[in-house]
Amino acid sequence: MRPDDRELDEEIRGHLALSVKERVERGDTPEVARLAALREFGYIPAARESMRRVWYSRWFDMAEALAQDLRIGLRSLLRAKGMAATVVMTLALGIGANAAIFSVVRSVLLRPLVNRDEARLIYIRQSAPGLGTDNLTFSVPEIADLKASVTSIGAFGDFSTVDFTLTGLGDARLVKAGVVSGSFFDVMGLRPVLGRLLTTGDDGPNADGAAVLTHRFWSSALNSDPSVVGQTIGLGTRTATIVGVLEPSVPYPADTEVIANIVTSPHHLGATMVTGRTHRMTELFGRLAPGATLESARVELNAVYAAMVSAHPDSYSRKAGTQISATPLRDQITSPARTILLLLLAAAAVVFVIACSNVANLILARSVRREGELAVRAALGASAGALRRTLLAESLVLCGAGAVLGVLLARPLVAVVASFASRFSVRALDVTVDASVLWVGAGLAMVAAVLLAYVPRLPSLDSGSGRPEQGRRAAQTPTGPGLASAGVRLTPSTTRRLRVFATVQIALSFVLLAGAGMLVATLMALQTASTGYDTRRVLALDIPVAIGDYGPKAITFYEEIMRRVGQLPGVDGVAVGSFVPWRDAGTFGPGVSFAFEGFVPADGEEDPRARLRIVSPRFFEVVGMPLVAGRAFTDDDRGGGEPVVVVSQSVAQRMFPNGEALNRKFWWTDPYFGTPVPRRIVGVVADVDDEHVVSAPALTVYLPFQQMGVAGRVFLRTAGDPYALVAPVRRVVRELSPNQPVERPATLEDVRATVLTPERLHAFVVSGFAGVALLIAVVGVAGVLAFGVSARTREFGVRLAVGSSPRSLLMGVLAEGVVIVTIGIAAGLAGGYACAGIAARYVAGIEWPGVGPVLAAAAVVGSGAVLASLLPAARASRVDVLQALRSE
Amino acid sequence: MAKTRDDQRLELLQGTLDMLILRTLQWGPQHGHGIGQAIRAQSDDLLKVETGSLYPAMHRLEKRGWLKSEWGVSEANQRAKFYQLTAAGKAQLSRERDRWSQLVGAIGRIMNPAGSE
Repeated sequence: MRPDDRELDEEIRGHLALSVKERVERGDTPEVARLAALREFGYIPAARESMRRVWYSRWFDMAEALAQDLRIGLRSLLRAKGMAATVVMTLALGIGANAAIFSVVRSVLLRPLVNRDEARLIYIRQSAPGLGTDNLTFSVPEIADLKASVTSIGAFGDFSTVDFTLTGLGDARLVKAGVVSGSFFDVMGLRPVLGRLLTTGDDGPNADGAAVLTHRFWSSALNSDPSVVGQTIGLGTRTATIVGVLEPSVPYPADTEVIANIVTSPHHLGATMVTGRTHRMTELFGRLAPGATLESARVELNAVYAAMVSAHPDSYSRKAGTQISATPLRDQITSPARTILLLLLAAAAVVFVIACSNVANLILARSVRREGELAVRAALGASAGALRRTLLAESLVLCGAGAVLGVLLARPLVAVVASFASRFSVRALDVTVDASVLWVGAGLAMVAAVLLAYVPRLPSLDSGSGRPEQGRRAAQTPTGPGLASAGVRLTPSTTRRLRVFATVQIALSFVLLAGAGMLVATLMALQTASTGYDTRRVLALDIPVAIGDYGPKAITFYEEIMRRVGQLPGVDGVAVGSFVPWRDAGTFGPGVSFAFEGFVPADGEEDPRARLRIVSPRFFEVVGMPLVAGRAFTDDDRGGGEPVVVVSQSVAQRMFPNGEALNRKFWWTDPYFGTPVPRRIVGVVADVDDEHVVSAPALTVYLPFQQMGVAGRVFLRTAGDPYALVAPVRRVVRELSPNQPVERPATLEDVRATVLTPERLHAFVVSGFAGVALLIAVVGVAGVLAFGVSARTREFGVRLAVGSSPRSLLMGVLAEGVVIVTIGIAAGLAGGYACAGIAARYVAGIEWPGVGPVLAAAAVVGSGAVLASLLPAARASRVDVLQALRSE
Repeated sequence: MAKTRDDQRLELLQGTLDMLILRTLQWGPQHGHGIGQAIRAQSDDLLKVETGSLYPAMHRLEKRGWLKSEWGVSEANQRAKFYQLTAAGKAQLSRERDRWSQLVGAIGRIMNPAGSE
């Protein structure tokens, strides 16, 4: 049983009493006995301290002192509930936002992949900056060359994406499938949860078809049915046996339902695929050989690639500027989310700084009010350390409460941010709230607490003790003689600090607001931009046929679909095409090279490239593209007839500047088309940009469907609700061909909205941050001015008494607010541009805000702060002269 | 009681106070004042224990489990804390006694070598 302080005292008292009693019995007078006993004992506090130290360590005493300070701090904060609540809420917002975003950043960007030894896994990419293509992918001969020469990469895995019609598992459906060679899973370091994965035994044209289901497909579409393993499924024209189910892993490069061996795709066995050096459709992965580093692999890849390029000059044009790069797979997977997450992290950090400076303001103002209290304590002998400890304890209480609330707030925020981030990286789908939220929250709270404790100025001991100063609560606290009651004394340095903090808040929230304004402006420009399509009335559906059926069979099929669907009530027109605007963007590469009558290439100049689109008659009419000259395709433009094309206005203008495009000859020069066939230009249509949501005139050439026999997309011009037609269309198509997939029905408007979702989310999230920041900053400015007014009540009273008009006082306070805001905005402008300049060096794609958003942000911040200054200004002008003067 | 002059008193050897406390308590429970008096009396007033070190020492011994304490009323009708040897304390006392006699013997052999008399 460790004795408490009372017991120690009692023991000492008992000893002294016995000692005195003994001496008195020996004949000493009580007075002498008492003094002798005390003398014999020695310095009592020292002995008592040594006795205590046996039982209690120094740490215990310090913790106890801190607990005591905390209790006092809590009590004194409870007397200032409004201020405490504001501080706690402000900190909670700052801490919560940071903790939430940090935990998403951690699990999306920093968490390792499930793949075995994932740090040695790299992603290899070929790009052609000259063609504006950042991912050219690889062809089979290219992969063979790399495999043959590169030694620092121990094994390569390849993956190409193919659309299959999957049959044999319920309804026929269109699935995305990966086609891989046997080394893929071993290189990726993935394991099956059921059955086996593909191995090199599944390679070659004579292997049996084998397919692995992805975990997502198996668990969502097939309800995790274990009996599917061993079943035979139809993949397009081939069949395959399901050999296993893949473990949950990040699907990259494509989120597919099925991953199958080469033999399931007839295309992969064809000569084009196997020998075509420019027939690129395969993504490449590698595992670093033991001892190799990413750097050495890059060097070797570049050398081998350079040798390969010089060996086949015809396949790598100088203008394309093809190059090869290697990145760690994890970086590659997370890179789309990196910028936005770091942006959010920065925004959250800014909000935290604003929150802290606002809290610093409140605490500073409070400490001015209690300067009297601190001065009295200093006069009574409290050391500077003890005073600082009191302040620290108070800010610990505040920040601790803020952290607890912030962490609670962070939990739902993590879900919001994760669902936002999942647009950019599939990794965000399985973000969970973990302990890192707590650590970040606690860490930020500690940082804030220590910073805040050092904000207030301590009364200096020499001047503080003698100077008459006392806080507002002078009336309730006993005051010694000489400590007269006065108003709050505001020193110039305190005023300066208050204003600096307020300015910082204005500056930072202005930066955030300008950023948000920029995103909103971009979004609004995108949403209101004219697309050239009649987006609202056009319904697009994917109704693909197998590649093997291209040609006459497909023509008959789609002609019949157009005939039957065209008869449905509510259908104003129907056409087929090869490309749904925006949704199919990027699937056809950088365009196809062509030439035309009268085209004389300059020396070394390459043929121009145009987007190739295949459309049926009435397509332009259905999607609402106006014909500029000539005619559209008709049902007579079919195989055996005269080869024709329709070109976009930009082709007509750029290639035929004199306006004589009609009836000139045009031909593709890409080797893929074999011997060039001259085609007559029969029509010119208005420009559209079906690749980008930000429209730019694009060279586009349209080929007649009935001469090409390739399509896959069906477009309906509708009279009423477009989506009401989905079921009838599906029925009509199934009547024609029971296993025909009919997928992804959407109006062009909705397709575009889906593509714009990330922009909308960016604008939404950053605006949210900016709103919070603005709110905090406005409260901060109002607080500073209000505090200034209340501290200068007497001054205002005097000024009113000597004849100042209330109006001039009001304008004076308002002017102070305007000065803070103006300096803040100027600082924000300068700082923001400086920061953006620095950030632009590290993060690609930083855009400079236009003048509009900046001005709008300035206007919002300015008017918000001026409105906030009105309240304290009005109070200054209504100061009661008599009361103000009497208060001294 | 004959009074010994202060300059005749002996300083306690370091580390012996604990042993003396344990030894004193061998006769039965005692409070701090009594222990101090007993050490002084039994040493014919030659050893004087500083009260300032006696109490911390007793608390140290109690913390190590060699003593236990109990509040009681002294012979002078004064409330006081009585200390008592525990079983572990008794074992410790005999260990210290052995070490002490070894020490005294060893020092004695050095100071009075055999055959020097």
